[in-house]
Amino acid sequence: MIDTTAVLGYAWPMAVAPGETVSFHLSSETLAEAQLRVVRVRCADADPAGPGIRTTGPSSAIDGPIDLSHQPIHPGSCAVVADSAQLAGLGDFTFGCYLFPTLIGGRRQTIAARWNELRECGWKLELDEEAHLLLTIADGGRRWNVRAPKPLLEREWVLAAATVDLTGGTVAVHQASLARDGGRDRTGTATAAGPAAIAWPTATPLVLAAQGTGLDKPLRATSHHLNGKIDRPRLYAAALDAGRIGALVDALNPPNTDPALIAAWDFSRDIGGDTIRDLSGHRHDGILHQLPMRAATGANWDGRSNSWTEVPWQYGAIHFHDDDIADCGWKADRKLTVPADWPSGFYALELTAATGEGVSVESYVPFFVRAPRDRATAPLAVVASTATFLAYANSCLRLDQSHFEAMNEGLVLISGDDCYLSAHRELGLSTYDTHSDGSGVCYSSGARPILNMRPRGNTFNYVNDTHLLDWLEEQGIPYDIVTDEDIDREGARALKPYRVVITGSHPEYFSRPMLDAFETYQNAGGRHMYLGGNGFYWRIAFHPTAPGRIEVRRGITGTRTWEGEAGENTLSFTGEPSGLWRSNGRPPQRLVGVGFDAQVFDRSAAYRRLGDSFDPRVAFAFEGIGPDEAIGDFGLRLGGAAGLEIDRADATLGSPPNLMLLATADRIGAGGLPTTEEFRTTHRGLTGDQNARVRADIVFFETSQGGAVFATGSIAWCCALSHDGYDNNVSRLTGNVLRRFLDPRPFD
Amino acid sequence: MLENDPNAAHYPIDPDRLDLVEEFRRAPKGPHSDALQKVLHRMRWAGEPRRYVLIVIEPGRRWMLGRLPERRGGQIERLADHVFTDPADAEWEVFRRRWQAITGRVLPAERTV
Ligand SMILES: [Fe+2]
Repeated sequence: MIDTTAVLGYAWPMAVAPGETVSFHLSSETLAEAQLRVVRVRCADADPAGPGIRTTGPSSAIDGPIDLSHQPIHPGSCAVVADSAQLAGLGDFTFGCYLFPTLIGGRRQTIAARWNELRECGWKLELDEEAHLLLTIADGGRRWNVRAPKPLLEREWVLAAATVDLTGGTVAVHQASLARDGGRDRTGTATAAGPAAIAWPTATPLVLAAQGTGLDKPLRATSHHLNGKIDRPRLYAAALDAGRIGALVDALNPPNTDPALIAAWDFSRDIGGDTIRDLSGHRHDGILHQLPMRAATGANWDGRSNSWTEVPWQYGAIHFHDDDIADCGWKADRKLTVPADWPSGFYALELTAATGEGVSVESYVPFFVRAPRDRATAPLAVVASTATFLAYANSCLRLDQSHFEAMNEGLVLISGDDCYLSAHRELGLSTYDTHSDGSGVCYSSGARPILNMRPRGNTFNYVNDTHLLDWLEEQGIPYDIVTDEDIDREGARALKPYRVVITGSHPEYFSRPMLDAFETYQNAGGRHMYLGGNGFYWRIAFHPTAPGRIEVRRGITGTRTWEGEAGENTLSFTGEPSGLWRSNGRPPQRLVGVGFDAQVFDRSAAYRRLGDSFDPRVAFAFEGIGPDEAIGDFGLRLGGAAGLEIDRADATLGSPPNLMLLATADRIGAGGLPTTEEFRTTHRGLTGDQNARVRADIVFFETSQGGAVFATGSIAWCCALSHDGYDNNVSRLTGNVLRRFLDPRPFD
Repeated sequence: MLENDPNAAHYPIDPDRLDLVEEFRRAPKGPHSDALQKVLHRMRWAGEPRRYVLIVIEPGRRWMLGRLPERRGGQIERLADHVFTDPADAEWEVFRRRWQAITGRVLPAERTV
């Protein structure tokens, strides 16, 4: 048996050019040492029916034994405000905010605190195990508590406040429901005896949505993370009554001329960044940790706009989660400067160890080597779909979502990686998953081990794409790797040096700069082969400055595993709308002739040739393929080349007038299930056995200046290339088109 | 919020339809008749508390029956005495457990006649 998780790691940055340095961050709970080897990945799929794991070792300076240590991960987002004389020296004070709890009961969650858990001193306002507001103040010996009489409701806005009145010798909590109809009213106040004076801790940051542990470990500085939204938190140097608390929190711009206003955070400022801004004039700005969701609707959101860019004052909330993770923060165990002569490709650290009892450890840490920055080394570029890899990173759907077995039409397959993920949720979620509070995960970061982006990983995306690399190596066709992030940052410049660019099995997530780059490339004579399905589908953004981070908001249509909340479908990174590209005026058909129509997870199908395939203009593509040959009635993914997720041409969605429909797989069967945006109302007859719009189309068209597009519209395509010793018609058609596309002669 | 409701699959399974059992037994991966598709959808969508899953021991060669944890963060239970060299046998094993749970009728453990 092979253990793929005894040691885990991530490379940073995810992609480098020769001459640049990549660092490797590793952790093992069980191993003290492993053997390390850098490998170039040819095939990452362990399936014995295919080529198997195939890597080559270029022999690197860091190959050899490596000592390992355990580096834990501490998920949970919060805002941390550095300590100040004012925060440390508070006498009477009030903290208030609007609160929208999203996971109540069963756990203590801190809303705001200046607290040191180790020494049990400071103050903290919490939601307790029964969802009651609870204020605690303590000085390391004595402790005072006050608890609200009524529990809060999940997903209902409430004004939540705490007052410490040393002058009056009381402490109090106050809550006021914004909606008071239908049994929702939880308004109430509780007051208890408090001290006349108290010594607050020194050198203690103020934390929102968590509390300080008091530990001298930056990664473990906080605990008791909140699940929910906080809007307009305020800190005021007086014990206010209920009416004045309401006015203080509600004011969008509390007057900074008021000397008692210690902090008034406006989360609608700098939404694209990691800083929270204080309006008080005291510069109590804070830093957000582990990427909580910004651009969240505030308590005052009234639906007049769905975009924070239009009504920013209605987006003064941040949604915190106890399972947010953006950066594990592990120390680097090794650094590698990539030698100038290493060919571009998918690379990985291979970590091996023997543990006895027939178990051997074989774990990979992936990274990508692109071409040198100043030149291409081949006329062909293969896109590493890193945005899609990130979107799917550590997907827990098969563990958490009951639709998976039904969608899969069979028992859920659980790999060793899935077993590990099940018990190690601190590795963080994919953008397919929902947080522990049920809300959708909209960010993903590469600064953590990603188990399904490496050799021996679950078969989708990364692993499937290596079947294309394997086939190119087999054909002896050299290629460079260009990552999605390169294209996002550099635009068409990243593609321009290449005569042909191939996008792989599932280039699903595209930012606007990426789509622009492809359009520009194709229309300037570039030739694009799209050998996948469900591509160019979701509109995402890469973080404008931080590398290796993407964001998607799923909205309310498309094949989606969660639905975006009303008003929360604008990207916080850029202010752009998210959702489907089809909903953003740029359906995939416009770029590559075909676009997503259906999922097929029971069995894959074959294509049959159509009339256009006999046109002499595309004779180059069908050399060696008979007129009645079924194309791709084989393959590693459910026995065919047309399957999993499939795309069709449609002129009304932008397929160009000169498109040639070469082949189609339109006999898909009852397991072909159309995506929601493909029908107007529900009705019978939608499935593939009755619906010819559930199909995969192979298309070709010329763009301009000698450019062209060839698309196969199916995720399963690349996994059929190696069938029968690479001697098959999927391989033949792909090879015919690629060789012709590499030939600079214009098309007839 | 958009949620998956395991209780939504409510197709009534007729305990006397042993023809559907036989159809499944012969071809666990299908293709299946309309009636059997409905039976399977009910079983797969509803699952059971701590859903049955198939743990890959050796890709493409050996699988073990398992159960998901009750809550996030838990371990997947491994049913070590249920190892399969053909996933179709695992499908049958879970089918018969679910058939029994729903209809109260016991089906034979062996898939092959
Ligand atoms: Fe996808």
